[in-house]
Amino acid sequence: MSAPPSTDAALLARAAEGEAAAFDHLVRRHTPRMYRVALRITGSAAEAEDVVQDAWIAAWRGLPDFRGDSAVSTWLYRVVTNAALGHVRRRRPTVSLDEALAGPGRARLDAGLLADAHADPEGHVVRTEQVEAVLWAIASLDVTQRVPLVLRELEGLSYEEVAEVLEVNVAALRSRLHRARVALLAKLKERS
Amino acid sequence: MSAGGDPLDDPQWEWVRATARAPVPTPPGLIERVLRSVHGVRGGLPAEPLEIAQEGGRLRVGERAVVLLTRRLGADLAARIGGLHVSAVAFEAGVLEVVVTVEYGLGADTAAETLRIRLQAALRAELGPAAPAVNVHIADVYRN
Repeated sequence: MSAPPSTDAALLARAAEGEAAAFDHLVRRHTPRMYRVALRITGSAAEAEDVVQDAWIAAWRGLPDFRGDSAVSTWLYRVVTNAALGHVRRRRPTVSLDEALAGPGRARLDAGLLADAHADPEGHVVRTEQVEAVLWAIASLDVTQRVPLVLRELEGLSYEEVAEVLEVNVAALRSRLHRARVALLAKLKERS
Repeated sequence: MSAGGDPLDDPQWEWVRATARAPVPTPPGLIERVLRSVHGVRGGLPAEPLEIAQEGGRLRVGERAVVLLTRRLGADLAARIGGLHVSAVAFEAGVLEVVVTVEYGLGADTAAETLRIRLQAALRAELGPAAPAVNVHIADVYRN
């Protein structure tokens, strides 16, 4: 019988004590989720890969400062969100939204959507168009609206978790999210 | 949506829910590239620091600092060249191994060699002749 998998908290504690394999285990476990968040915030696969690299290096360097006040997954969401925000803010101003959305992120997303295309080809086309419209609309929002939307509506975090990741209070977050949802819906209706 | 209504009640919000359900595949090899970067920054057995002669003394630079410097310089140079992204940097057997992804149609070999030459020059400018040699490896080609 194999041993039960270690919890994130146990792995992080061992990593903080210098056990390299424990940190590697966290990397294997959480990289897919961190990549997904980075891709949904930046809209670019190549940039998302850079973000994930930077985030893990920041996480490793930040190990001594992790106090265990929040869940490991929440802490990692914060690390990758901060890395993604840093990339978006450093982005060349000449990169157009269309260019960003036509990039490899689009191809990666299409690859994912293709997974269920064979079961329902007509439904797949509709879903792909809807998803494309939503990604376009989210990417066109200011990052102060984009990030909470990604974390709450696409990643499914609770209000409390998103507030913790963004280090804001829940009331302020709810208000910001409402404005972001209204803005997103307006953009979707503009496009459809 | 009516004025003042909750966007979550709008039928079009179903599009957002569909987006949340859409799978996002992890690029092949990403986890290995991340691990390589982390190992590069973490370092293995402590290596001899680089020694750089300066006016009035010598500057000693640790392996970890060299990897982080290479990563930052490499990312900046790759952005200037265009179509190149630095995926990982590791210091192995005294050589800096830089792993990149290249945009399809760019001329991968030429772009990688351009990065290698410029990165080597930038490192020499920062660290002097003691700067380690640089190898650039193409890990993936993506279509834009």
